[in-house]
Parts: sequence; C-alpha cells; structure tokens
Amino acid sequence: MLNKPEHGPSPLKSKTLDSYSGFDSLPSFLRNTAEAPGEEEKQKKAMAAMEEDNGEFYLRYYVGHRGKFGHEFLEFEFRPDGKLRYANNSNYKNDTMIRKEVFLTPAVLKECRRIISESEIMKEDDNNWPEPDRVGRQELEIVMGNEHISFTTSKIGSLVDVHSSQDPEGLRIFYYLVQDLKCFVFSLISLHFKIKPI
Amino acid sequence: MANTEAEAVDFEPEDDDLMDEEGAADVDASSSPRAPLPKLKSAITGGSATSSLSAPKKTKGRGFREEVDAERQSRLSGRGFDSLGSDGGPGPQRSVEGWIILVSGVHEEAQDDHLQEAFGEFGEIKNLHLNLDRRTGFVKGYALIEYEKFEQAETAIASMNGGTLLEQIIYVDWAFSNGPSNGAFRRKNTRPGRMNRSRSPRRRY
Repeated sequence: MLNKPEHGPSPLKSKTLDSYSGFDSLPSFLRNTAEAPGEEEKQKKAMAAMEEDNGEFYLRYYVGHRGKFGHEFLEFEFRPDGKLRYANNSNYKNDTMIRKEVFLTPAVLKECRRIISESEIMKEDDNNWPEPDRVGRQELEIVMGNEHISFTTSKIGSLVDVHSSQDPEGLRIFYYLVQDLKCFVFSLISLHFKIKPI
Repeated sequence: MANTEAEAVDFEPEDDDLMDEEGAADVDASSSPRAPLPKLKSAITGGSATSSLSAPKKTKGRGFREEVDAERQSRLSGRGFDSLGSDGGPGPQRSVEGWIILVSGVHEEAQDDHLQEAFGEFGEIKNLHLNLDRRTGFVKGYALIEYEKFEQAETAIASMNGGTLLEQIIYVDWAFSNGPSNGAFRRKNTRPGRMNRSRSPRRRY
C-alpha cells in the first residue's frame, strides 16, 4: 500500500556482500583520518557509546504523499519520556487511521540510540539529497546529544535512486537507517498490539 | 497481581504538550522555528545550565529552513492514540497476548535456534523477532521475545541479563513500560519492586 519498495528484502542481504564494518559507507573525512581499520571501528564504537550515554533523545520519522486516497502516511516518534507514537493513515478502501502509543523501557530507547549512533546519520546533511516531490516526502528528525537534525527528502524507491543522487554516501546511510528503524518499530508495535503494520 | 489481564481500552485523554509549538519558546531561537522538544534536560547534569550539554544544539537540515506546517504539528500530537490499559504504576506493561522482553547485544551471526535454546527453557516462546541489518543482512543486534506469562519473562530477564550468548554479553530487559521513564536515563532494569530476590547464576550458551 504505502511505499512498497522499501519493505522488500534488501538486495544486499547476503553476508558476502558489504563487510559488516561498512568502511565504504563512511564519510570520506572519517576514512582519511583513521589510521587502521581496527582503530576506526573502536573510535566509532566509543563515540556511539558516548552518544548513548547522553540523556537527550528524540526521534520522528515521516513518510507520505497526497494522492487519490487522500493523505497517506506513516509516522512514528520516540519521545524523551519513552513514549512511542505510531500513526498510519490511508483512505484506501475507507481505511481509517491507525494510531497507537506505548511507553518503552529505557532499555529499548537505548537500543534505538545505538542503532542511530552506529549509523552515523548525525554527521550527514540533506543539502544534496533529492527534494520532496509529488511522489512523496520523507522526514527524519533526531535530537541526540548536542545535535538536532531535521532532514527532508523525497521517497527512495531503491538503491538505484540512492546511487544516482548527488550524495550517494549520505543518502545510503539514511536509506538503510530508515529501514532499520521501521523494522524495529514494526516489531514493537506488532508484538505489543498484535496488529500488522502496513 | 495488578498488571495482568489488561484490556485494550481507549487512550486516556491527557494534555499533550510535548509537540506543541509554544513549548519551543525557551529554546535558542536560531535552533529551530518549530523544535518540538524544547525542554530537554540532560539527565546527567540535571538540567543545570553550566554544562556544555546545555549549549544551543547544532542543527542541520531542510526541516529548519522550511515553513512550519501546522498539519505536521498536529499529526502526532493530541488524542486518539490507542494504548493498552495500564494500572499507572511502575514496572513492565503487558502486551495484548503476553509479555515482551528485549535482548540486546545479540551476536550478528545469531540465529533463531540460538535464542530458542537460550530462552526457551523459561517458557514457550510465543514470538521471536530477530531482525536483520538491512544493509549487511546480519543480525541487527537485538531480539524481541514474547512469553505468555509474566513469570516466564521475569525469570528470563533475571537469569539471562548480563549472561552470554555466542560469547557476547547480552542484556535482557522488559520492552514495554507502564509509564514514562522518570527523566533520568537509568541503566538499571525497570523491574517491579518485588523483584528483590537474588539472581540465579549466569548461564552460558
């Protein structure tokens, strides 16, 4: 229904492709400063741990478009007090909005922060990402530590869109992070409420 | 036990100001015209203004340059969100069909069987989500496990938190809570107060 291409299995779902350390996805400035791969990975982990320890955290993700079936969108939010809010709206076949909320434990929030830290999305910028268009828009807003990002871009159908963009490295981080976050949220919501999101 | 048999009920209306724009008043004006989380305070400094943590946030992105979309403000604010009933007390919250725990620190090559083996002995696992990293195809690092009974989940947490799975230390805790986390970002488990008994020995797998 909404955003189908993003939910299919990843084309890189093979363990032989893309090493886990993911050097090729690191921003170039990081790659240049690292002395050895091991060091770099350690630094990355240490930085991630620091960010995780800082208490401030907020996340919101939105994807949607306006069309034949009204404003169809999916949005979720992690609030500082631990509340997860989830909304999914489509007027397709008179579907009504699904709106759910639940409080998460600090353990779950911490895992969410880990996923974000390790993605290094906070180092990216949406300057050179595709502008939102008629097909749709995505928004990712995160407050973590001393940084606040609020990125906006178009929908991303597949990796082809990522590679053909002006900032493939940054957009790829966004592309995969969004999928990992959705996956996390869908698991939480579907286990808690016994509904099948999307 | 107060927190069993929770039924799905409508979300209790409450004044929901977190997403309200007025809240942004005391934030550095340059940070965002529509910052939805103005009153964040560091759990470490307790909100004191002396720390660098309280410095204006570095902001990035088109979201700070676009006009405020009134509709965006309202989408996730206000009422009408379904939630499961809560007794309002502290501690874990029951899900529709059972109790969900989070396992973190899961080895990237772990498989369902490893978790079944390690966690199955505390009770039948009704559901297991071992999600994968979408880029690498390896395990993302966490698992969500559902037990039918509170005691099963409780025992799994007590027995396995801090234990090892595939030579990696794992952390096990409840996934859902009855209420807000109290500001401070606690490392300790949010277990019910009655969980004061001593821990059983760690297990290894």
